[in-house]
Amino acid sequence: MIKSWVKITDKSVTLNGQMMDFPSYGNALLTEIYRSKVKDYPKFFKMDALCKLGFLGSELVIQDENTNRFVPREDRAVILFNRSGSLNADVNFQATLQPDDFFPSPALFVYTLPNIITGEIAIRNKYLGETSFYVLEKKDSETIASQIVASFQDNITKSVIGGWVDCVDENNFEAVMFLCYRDEENKLHEEIKNILSK
Amino acid sequence: MKVIFKIADNIVSPLGFTTAENFSAVMSGRSAIRRYEDKWDIPDPFMASLIDRDALDHECGSLPLMQHYTCFEKMILLSVSKALENSGVQPDSDRVLFIVSTTKGNVDLLYENKFNLPSDRILCGVTARVICDYFHNPNPPIVVSNACISGVCAQIAAMRNLFGGRYDYVIVTGADCQSRFIVTGFQSLKALSPDLCRPFDKDRKGLNLGDAAATIIYSVKDEYEMEPDDWVAVDGSIRNDANHISGPSRSGEGSYRTLVNVLHDTNPDDIAFVNVHGTATVYNDEMESIALYRAGLQAVPVNGLKGYYGHTMGAAGVIETILSMCAVDNNVILATRGYETCGVSYPLSLSNEIRHTDKRSFIKLLSGFGGCNAAILFKKGGAL
Amino acid sequence: MDELILELKNEIIETLNLEDMQPDDIDTDAPLFGEGLGLDSIDALELIVLMEKNYGIKLRDASKGKEIFKSVRVMADYIEKNRTK
Repeated sequence: MIKSWVKITDKSVTLNGQMMDFPSYGNALLTEIYRSKVKDYPKFFKMDALCKLGFLGSELVIQDENTNRFVPREDRAVILFNRSGSLNADVNFQATLQPDDFFPSPALFVYTLPNIITGEIAIRNKYLGETSFYVLEKKDSETIASQIVASFQDNITKSVIGGWVDCVDENNFEAVMFLCYRDEENKLHEEIKNILSK
Repeated sequence: MKVIFKIADNIVSPLGFTTAENFSAVMSGRSAIRRYEDKWDIPDPFMASLIDRDALDHECGSLPLMQHYTCFEKMILLSVSKALENSGVQPDSDRVLFIVSTTKGNVDLLYENKFNLPSDRILCGVTARVICDYFHNPNPPIVVSNACISGVCAQIAAMRNLFGGRYDYVIVTGADCQSRFIVTGFQSLKALSPDLCRPFDKDRKGLNLGDAAATIIYSVKDEYEMEPDDWVAVDGSIRNDANHISGPSRSGEGSYRTLVNVLHDTNPDDIAFVNVHGTATVYNDEMESIALYRAGLQAVPVNGLKGYYGHTMGAAGVIETILSMCAVDNNVILATRGYETCGVSYPLSLSNEIRHTDKRSFIKLLSGFGGCNAAILFKKGGAL
Repeated sequence: MDELILELKNEIIETLNLEDMQPDDIDTDAPLFGEGLGLDSIDALELIVLMEKNYGIKLRDASKGKEIFKSVRVMADYIEKNRTK
């Protein structure tokens, strides 16, 4: 069962189908969401654009859940997908490797793995459960839904922060993220496909 | 009850192009790690285990390559082709799923794209599609990109997809090809050892990097159909430390939990060994010793294989699983090359010599950036 | 020296993405690591790159950073004595 979902693009933010009012675009939009909805996590500014996007998506769906946060728990997984991997971070790190200006940046290199965003969400929320990142050729809702449903084969996992979080560059991105619970009626697969098509 | 069992495997590495060649090299204590200077325009020298590109091309001569493929892709095509030989698996069937485990795939194309490949070839999902197309596989491939634990996660994903019933076979292939990007990145983190890596040793100074590809083909059947020599992937677990994106947890939280989860009701006395990550960085090995101790595994033999191959990233979990299976098949616990004197807080049963075992199950453990950890318990059919 | 200290503070804020911080918020004599700025091991490595890039000081041994990054003043002092650009 999907509890809440969010769609963030470089142009707009929609929470549970309701458009949120942010006048900014692109990278500035991410900063604006942070300033208005999070405020107290300066580590945000150290993140690369993919992590900022995934972090904000997770914040919006978790805040919407409205339960006691930041208590260590193993029953919640973070399972995300995209097409671009860590491309934006890769390009930024590669830029520090110019033969005539060669200063490889450790702070950029650590973001050259797309699963870092799953770790950022786990750290922020003290989630000790599964964290997984998958890269697909395209936003294939059938594959995403089937992998998330299959992740409930882990008996401890009761809920998943899941979805799509893709960042081509700082001003060109899309996330569709949701919080879903194990369901016994096999409806989750269709629900996920439905949300991803929005 | 269904069980997930291994059909076939292969390792492509600087130590050989078949599993048998690799196992025999490791049994005789060979390492492919050596020193490179002025390689790939990298100012500082580094130690690594690299595949000879000409030898790889020569070996790929047996494949019908109709277009240009990158080194990373060739390693995978070769490894999967060799695993498929005599396996009876038809890769073009819609009952076969490809799962690729990699951390950096074709990232080297950012630096050099000699053959003008399409720019989206740098994306791992596109690369995986190219690989599926080579084998005429119609299904959307899945790339597991979970840093250093990808090779174990890919096997867990294979188990899940086979239990799900949509597929009869999953081809899990893990690979990474070293490059200027990766080596300079690890240099910037000051994570590379200036010498051969020394897992769990008091003088360990960091890791070595390595090229490799490795493939395991899994299938599913009813428990009553199981043969005594079948290798069964019993249970897997992935857990996060929720501590730091690049530093391992000081309490080994995530690794500890994966160990407890996969052990479940298995008696530690029945485990031949735990094959650990053992990168030979100060913090990783210390963390693993704490996790093993907390999970009640301090008396179980432990070994690490980075001294032979270096850290092969996306391939590591697959290679180390295959070699551990070979070891149990031959009643041995492989030596931890480079280890001499214990350098972790919780002493483990480690040895730089080959040990004997009659037991028929083992645990593969990994941890990685992003705070992730993964483990799988494997048993031979007769031990289930 | 005061000029170098201010320059360093600005560089630290920019390099380590300490958004919302002003040079005055960094105590010249307080430890850079530990409490306060909330810096971690990656920040320490990034400061080593900063020293090389901006001042031509190459630290081979990362653990030496511990002494140099005691405070902005210690860092500035070290740079003054060892800079090659």
